[in-house]
Amino acid sequence: MFPFLIRRFFQAIPTLLLASVLIFFVISLAPGDFLTPARLNPGISEQQLANLSANFGLDRPVYVQYFYWMKNLLQGDFGLSFQYTQPVLPVIWPRIVNSVYLVLLNLVFFYAIAIPIGVYGAVRQNSLGDKSINVVLYFLLGFPSFFLFLIVIYLILQVRNATGWDIPLGGMTSGNYDQLSALGKFWDVLSHLLIPAAVLAITDAAGLTRVIRGLMLEVMRSDYIRTARAKGVSERTAIWKHTFRNAILPIIAGIGGLLPAAISGAGFVEVVYAYPGITPMLLTAITASDLYLIAGFTVISTILLIIGNALSDILLAVVDPRIKVG
Amino acid sequence: MTAAAPTPTPQKTDRRSLGQSQFSVAWGQFRKNRLAQTGGVLLILVYVLAIFAPFIAPDGLSSYSTSNITRFHPPTPIEFRDPATGAFTRPFVFKYGQELNMDTFVNEYKPTAEQCPIYFGVRGAEYKILGLIPGNLHLFGTGQEKPDCNVFLFGGEALGRDLFTRTLYASQISLTIGVVAVLLSTVIGLFMGALAAFFGGFVDTVIMRLVEVISAIPYLFLLLLLRSVFPQDINPIFALYVILGILAFIGWGGLARVTRGQLLSVREQDFVSAARALGASDNRVMWRHMLPTMTTYIIVTLSLSIPGFILLESGLSFLGVGAVEPYVSWGSLLAQAQEGGLSSLNSRPWVLIPGFFIVFTVGCFQLLGDGLRDAFDPRKRQ
Repeated sequence: MFPFLIRRFFQAIPTLLLASVLIFFVISLAPGDFLTPARLNPGISEQQLANLSANFGLDRPVYVQYFYWMKNLLQGDFGLSFQYTQPVLPVIWPRIVNSVYLVLLNLVFFYAIAIPIGVYGAVRQNSLGDKSINVVLYFLLGFPSFFLFLIVIYLILQVRNATGWDIPLGGMTSGNYDQLSALGKFWDVLSHLLIPAAVLAITDAAGLTRVIRGLMLEVMRSDYIRTARAKGVSERTAIWKHTFRNAILPIIAGIGGLLPAAISGAGFVEVVYAYPGITPMLLTAITASDLYLIAGFTVISTILLIIGNALSDILLAVVDPRIKVG
Repeated sequence: MTAAAPTPTPQKTDRRSLGQSQFSVAWGQFRKNRLAQTGGVLLILVYVLAIFAPFIAPDGLSSYSTSNITRFHPPTPIEFRDPATGAFTRPFVFKYGQELNMDTFVNEYKPTAEQCPIYFGVRGAEYKILGLIPGNLHLFGTGQEKPDCNVFLFGGEALGRDLFTRTLYASQISLTIGVVAVLLSTVIGLFMGALAAFFGGFVDTVIMRLVEVISAIPYLFLLLLLRSVFPQDINPIFALYVILGILAFIGWGGLARVTRGQLLSVREQDFVSAARALGASDNRVMWRHMLPTMTTYIIVTLSLSIPGFILLESGLSFLGVGAVEPYVSWGSLLAQAQEGGLSSLNSRPWVLIPGFFIVFTVGCFQLLGDGLRDAFDPRKRQ
């Protein structure tokens, strides 16, 4: 196990370096920098501009900027955000935490929907339930997540107008959040998270359900399931212990991708829902060409991806005794 | 247990069963799949609709009146009966008047008694079908006698332009970008995979590392990053090409990996050695013997990855980095649903209509793709 981790670590270094180079130079290719809008502002003098530019190292060539940034990065310093004139890490950290809440709740829904439906579809193959679920899922696969979300918001608006029930429609907290008790705060955030997490889970679950159904069907036809049944194993054990555990191996192999996905946030849904997650922040950072913020975030998510991949390899070895790590 | 397997009885002398090519087998299989065929036919229909969009649409891509502002005009239902007599007449729409509601301070549209007859084959905005065939004939419209009459099948959008017209024009972009981006990324993926497999060594390492790096960066941010390399206010046509290129650049990694693996395994097989022994050039071996082994895989992944790219393009346009004014795609039409806060969506649900075009197209492509995959899969033969 340990040598495996060490080897993984060293293999990851070139990928990380290349990714950081790619990101850094793509950003510096963009026309103008953070100071472009400041230059148009008559209230800021030439001297101030020169100072700012020197402070941020913008007067040096790009590769020098890169090496300065890399040196700081190795010391755990992600640089300064131009927009917020604060270190990057404290700026993005609360946003990442917000996104993680949303994504975690989304994952709970995601697996709670996909696994039972997928297994049901395989166990009752070609039954009426299976077929109708298939049709619905097929339909859902074609929905862009933001479009489904807009439709849901429209429906919620109808419900709100009809019943006067105050369903949250955006953001993460209500206006009176500060006056709430600890439990009230928790419930407030949860009620804001429920709808986007569920909608996102429904659009994503369509894909996984089909995969689980296909994998289950493949395993259920194999000889050892027949043997297990012949030995008199109960139907429940045959399905959940013998079939399901083997069928989900390819899914476990992909679980490592969840780690970076969790901090990359819920994407479009965050934008539509005006959720204070990482996606809206990065969108503004990109239009403001806030170099270190973007680069810092991308480096973090790349590191997490690499850790995630190593984790899923280890998980795979735990679940499947045929696979040896190392 | 070793009972003789039933000897294969000679088939009826059906000419087609002799020496069928892989494609004729697949085509035969595809012919049996009604659902996939429906998807294919509907797609052809959608594409024809997109090509003749300027003719079918009653208005021009970006024509709006500056005197009669019809911002978020509600859809005008087409009436067939004369309200006075109840008899059938030429189809018409009511002219809508605007009034400021003094309680809510919202501009409200109300139908007036005035009727605007709908004519077929009216002259209107100039256009060029496919950039070649000029014309100014439109399938239907209210004609030019009453300039304030509007037929808004899907209502009006943020600048008061006809949403139906915009949706049709948007289909040209939405249907093109996804497909062309997939084609481009396939070409890049094949080329890179072949390069990596053929040269090996340093080239192989560099290409495979690049694939790894691209897949290590969250794709949404990579897309936005690459888009931010170009200024926001570039020529709108050029912006479309930029998005096309970026989508193609994001997508080639997986295919390059598969191509490399496949070519490496094929390289050692007998038919390639035989071709080499016969003195075939590297070029010929690559194009005539090695790459054709990928055909089935490419057709299937192509058709299955198109829906994903269409969804991605619509998402980018929704965020405002895809198609820019005056051009539209279905995604950028949906972006106006957010205008003025989500709560105002209630007063104009028709802006959601373009989204159903995305769902419809993606559904058709999925049906077609699944049908093609099944047709080429020997285990699923019927």
